[in-house]
Amino acid sequence: MRVGAGAIAVLLALAPALAKAGDDSDLIPRGVLDAKPEAELATAAPAGPRSSPALYGKVFAEEALSVWSPARRMPVPEPPSLLLRWQNRASLDAGMHWKLEPWLTLTLSDRLNVFEQDGQKLVTANTVRNDLREASASWQPTDNYYLEAGRINVRNGAALGFNPTDFFKTRSLVGQASLDPSVIRQNRLGTLMLRAQALWAWGSTSIAYAPKLANPSQVSEKNPVGVDPRFDATNAAHRVLCTLSLELLDLSPQLLGYFELHRSKLGVNVTRPIGNAVVVYAEWAAGPEQNLIARAADFGTRTGTLPPSASRLPETDLRVSLRSDLTSGLSWTLATAVTLNVEYHFHEAGFTRNDWKNWFALGSASGAPGAPASPAGALWFVRGYASDQQEPLSKHQVFIRASWPRALGPDLELDAFAFVSLLDGSVLSQLAANYYVSGAWTASAYFSWNFGNAHTERGSFAQRGNTTVALTRYF
Amino acid sequence: MLRTFSFLFVLTLALVGRSDAARAADAPSAADIVAAADRVRNPDTPFRLSLTLVEYQRGRPHESVGLAVHSKLDPTTFQYRNLVRYSAPARDAGKLVLLSGGSMWFYDPASKASIRISAQQRLIGQASNGDVLTVNLAHDYKPRLVGGESIQDADRQPRDTWHLDLKAATPEAAYSRLETWIEKGTMRPVKSKFYSDSGRALKIAYYRRYEPALGAVRPLETIIIDAVDPHLLTKVSASDYRPENLPDAWFQREFLPRFSEQ
Repeated sequence: MRVGAGAIAVLLALAPALAKAGDDSDLIPRGVLDAKPEAELATAAPAGPRSSPALYGKVFAEEALSVWSPARRMPVPEPPSLLLRWQNRASLDAGMHWKLEPWLTLTLSDRLNVFEQDGQKLVTANTVRNDLREASASWQPTDNYYLEAGRINVRNGAALGFNPTDFFKTRSLVGQASLDPSVIRQNRLGTLMLRAQALWAWGSTSIAYAPKLANPSQVSEKNPVGVDPRFDATNAAHRVLCTLSLELLDLSPQLLGYFELHRSKLGVNVTRPIGNAVVVYAEWAAGPEQNLIARAADFGTRTGTLPPSASRLPETDLRVSLRSDLTSGLSWTLATAVTLNVEYHFHEAGFTRNDWKNWFALGSASGAPGAPASPAGALWFVRGYASDQQEPLSKHQVFIRASWPRALGPDLELDAFAFVSLLDGSVLSQLAANYYVSGAWTASAYFSWNFGNAHTERGSFAQRGNTTVALTRYF
Repeated sequence: MLRTFSFLFVLTLALVGRSDAARAADAPSAADIVAAADRVRNPDTPFRLSLTLVEYQRGRPHESVGLAVHSKLDPTTFQYRNLVRYSAPARDAGKLVLLSGGSMWFYDPASKASIRISAQQRLIGQASNGDVLTVNLAHDYKPRLVGGESIQDADRQPRDTWHLDLKAATPEAAYSRLETWIEKGTMRPVKSKFYSDSGRALKIAYYRRYEPALGAVRPLETIIIDAVDPHLLTKVSASDYRPENLPDAWFQREFLPRFSEQ
């Protein structure tokens, strides 16, 4: 038998026309053919379904050390409380589903963090912080109908850098190793709500009601809230969201109606492939509201952060008018290796060039002889408010992101992004490297940098850069 | 010994030549061959199967991925709609890829984000190997019969095959061109070669370990060679084929968060 097979092999080699396609099989080592799947799994990284059908999910521990570049003296000085030289975070993260019955599923998603940072004692009220992202029960009374209650992370939108139709994103941010919006979304707080959804072959519809449970908490850059579930951030107003998603014209349109006192909006998002390498997408939302500065002033005074008068902020138009948010962009996969996203963000309520001019003029004037006390804290509050709301600060910006999952080998993933202000050309950029040491361990490094002169959006930060290294162990 | 080889060589040439000549007149059409091969690879009723993908570097197992594939033929488009869920490695557990005609979505339960992806983007990484088994060649590609050809299968055994050249016929086709070799008589796929838009060979797949599954004899193992880096191989092992009730409502973006609860 062996001789016969050898003879045929020689024949094939001697007659290339006869066996011209057979040579490729010589690339397969014998050991690969003979290996049993179980033996392969034992040799390779941990793999295979490990969870029981009733309880499954993901659990990991992460250790992250962040170091910031030295603070510079700036025309509008940042409040010292916002400046850190280093911070260490150790986290235990769990996202679990428990299917109690075919019609009942419980969901829990939580992260427990221990922080150490410069200027803070080893053990304080802020050392331990728990982020209860989700805790909900989902009931399926009949096929394709769902009712759920609890803290739920409802996310909508098709874009990566800014999602105008992601209405529950506001005030959901928690501490992150990365500034990448697609990473930030992986660790945000859900909202306590009741939600009903129906699915059909042609689409789905849903309605969610999030009640007001508390008055809004202050914007806090450092999240000094310990184990508080922060319902005063996620449930500080009565809110309703209705969605209608359709499988139509290859656009997968989603129509949304969002209702909140003084801030109701309508939105739509669509996506469509162009050829086999490009996907285009757009999101639009609009509704009557004040601009960013006016809303920040109102929120700051309501929560006691700012004095009753907002005169220490840049002068602005306080009127409520119809304002739009728009993201349009595309993803383009190059050479079956790198995916490039390019997006334009329009935020009508954001800063104009004139607003920035006023912001710097007001902040810089405090240094002059006889000038009033520095309003820098109030000026930086506007920026903190925009970050807390997860909305862009400027009216026009571009977002560019490149993702290279198998860079320089199968275990290294490189991602880079940049937010570019179209008002002043300043840039926030980040390069991230994830090295998959094994199926259980991932080592990560993030390098971010602000480019621009001191009188630009990104260049006005006292600290230009940040480096974070992280090690993650999956269980 | 040399004479023996020479004899075998001549005999083989003669057999192949006579065989081709005899069959030329009644050779099935390219479309019929591809359709028959599709039926060998794919059950025509909704089903699920488990896939274990082990990546080899220079013959050593390096990384493994566990996938569960839930598949259903769309009777109007004759395309398979696939829901692919990662079960391993742990960092990817729960992630989903929905492949439903031109609608391809990636869902990460950590971010709750459903991102639409292009046919090219779906080819990046191991997930692209997960749906190799349920590609409907008859619908997505226009086939041309190149002719009969004897090739080696993965186990270096000779196979008498039909050699076909397929060009993408729909925008949803992941590859612009592929070649495939189908064993005469059994219509079992032996080998396929996949090309990029630029004509560069991307992957070479060998189908093996034919065993009964869901009412037919199907390949339970596919070995995929990275044509760019031939030291990189992926072995895809299928198991746990079983019929499954898959409502049409499952194959849309809005169901992906629900599917993670199933």
